[in-house]
Amino acid sequence: MDIANLPLAWANYLSILIFLCIFVLVWSIPKKVVFEDAPDQSRWRDIRVWATVLVAVQLFIYAVFN
Amino acid sequence: MHPLDLAIIVGYLALITFVGLRLAGRVKTAHDFFLAGRTLSWWVIGLSIIGTNIGANSYVGAAGNAFSIGIAQANFEWIGAIPAMIIAALVFIPLYWKAGVYSIPEYLGLRYNPTVRVVAALITSVVAVFAIGVALWAIALTLQTYLGWPIWVGILVTGTIVGAYSIAGGLAAVAFTDIFQVCIMFAGGLVIVGLGISETGGFSGFTETLISENPNHLQAYLPADHESYPWPGVIFGLGMVLSPAYWWAGQAILQRSLGAKTQWDASAGMMFAAFGKIFVPLLIVFPGLLALVMHAQIEYPDMALPWIIKNVLPPGISGLMFIAIIAALQSTIDSSVNSTSLMLTRDVRHVLIKNANPDNDLKVGRVLTLVLLLLSMCTAPLVAEMGGIFTFLQTILSLFQGPMLALLILGAFTRRATPQAGLWTLISGVVVSSVTLYSGVNMLYVAFSSFIYSLVALWVLSGFTAPHPNKDLSNLTYSPWRRS
Repeated sequence: MDIANLPLAWANYLSILIFLCIFVLVWSIPKKVVFEDAPDQSRWRDIRVWATVLVAVQLFIYAVFN
Repeated sequence: MHPLDLAIIVGYLALITFVGLRLAGRVKTAHDFFLAGRTLSWWVIGLSIIGTNIGANSYVGAAGNAFSIGIAQANFEWIGAIPAMIIAALVFIPLYWKAGVYSIPEYLGLRYNPTVRVVAALITSVVAVFAIGVALWAIALTLQTYLGWPIWVGILVTGTIVGAYSIAGGLAAVAFTDIFQVCIMFAGGLVIVGLGISETGGFSGFTETLISENPNHLQAYLPADHESYPWPGVIFGLGMVLSPAYWWAGQAILQRSLGAKTQWDASAGMMFAAFGKIFVPLLIVFPGLLALVMHAQIEYPDMALPWIIKNVLPPGISGLMFIAIIAALQSTIDSSVNSTSLMLTRDVRHVLIKNANPDNDLKVGRVLTLVLLLLSMCTAPLVAEMGGIFTFLQTILSLFQGPMLALLILGAFTRRATPQAGLWTLISGVVVSSVTLYSGVNMLYVAFSSFIYSLVALWVLSGFTAPHPNKDLSNLTYSPWRRS
């Protein structure tokens, strides 16, 4: 298969797949590692939640601009 | 020039110098100078990372590219940054933090051997001198365009201001001045977005014109047979190799993370910067699209942003955009100078000079910062006259990205990678990428193929070479899932 002939739509599907994999990786990291050294255990300090918002925005972007 | 423009410019330069010099009193040791005494909060780190990341090419080059290829240019900020930034925040920053290192070459030295540390530090440093020279030249050109200053005056004034606060205040001064610079960049960008949209008949008018006249400019990717940015190259070369190499191994970027007051601040700072990256296309891609919608008559795409500044911004506000460009360049220069000085002081000097006294690191670091700036000021005109040299050096750096990333990944996630295998993979990986590049393959594919080669070579060679002398690699490998 010639790489130059790959369908353009695959690019967006692949991007979405990459961000879904990132989402799974993020939530596989134990909580104690994420809160290492953190001043407190507040929900907003869980940077896995921050990463989830980032992933959601990216999924939206790559779903819209196709 | 409008008096308001002049007031903004003078006010900015005075504020940056004042803030930078105010922080000089905090610097008592090399630890304060290079890592800000580990006092930086997450939001300072995040804004400073954005400031360091947006450089000379971002403003003018990205707007020009957006004019030509559309929103696909934003991939450099999205798929080409955000996945790597998330992993940097959750994996690599905690790893470097646990290893207790000052720099990424220092980590590679501990994980492999001192030769890898010196090679990594030297290559990055040489390229940095020319990169700083390019940024100084770009500022001098901007100053000449707006203020009519001769080029040498622009280089001298910029070098003196950046040198004053970088040498006196170290990383803390660099990080805090970056905050002002990023705020100015976003303010300038938002003004362009607001005025541009109003000029083109509101948001609906802007999008309708763009969609009807240039529908392909709203596609996130370009076809697989595109000459410069084929989508497989963007995803595999940029997204999986060049971007991770930049965000996981870039000293100028990660140094402020290593200067955080806690590991959590370091990781949160990188994640905060990733949020900023979502909006960066508004600053650097939107002006190119706006020029397209406004049917800008320009000779070549890189003139898109200057055209917008001239035709959209009213007198009094164009000074803000001028300062935004200067700020983007300054924040890149100060970060590069500080991180290069660190690598030469510790990663090169401590390894090559056996009895180097660590107590002299602060003095040596300051002297090297000055020398680096002077060298870059001297190379700035050369870079302009012989632009090929910089392109050549950038290419050399790119050739190292794939092998360097393979060393980092197998070194961080496995205990299998050995010191000898690391060194030989680095050397042979560069040879493989050079040969591939010489055969005319797109740079994005060169990066990906050299990365895959290096992963395989490091894995195989490690099976035939002596293991790491330190059997306990727990502080140098990432294993949060291992049961203790």
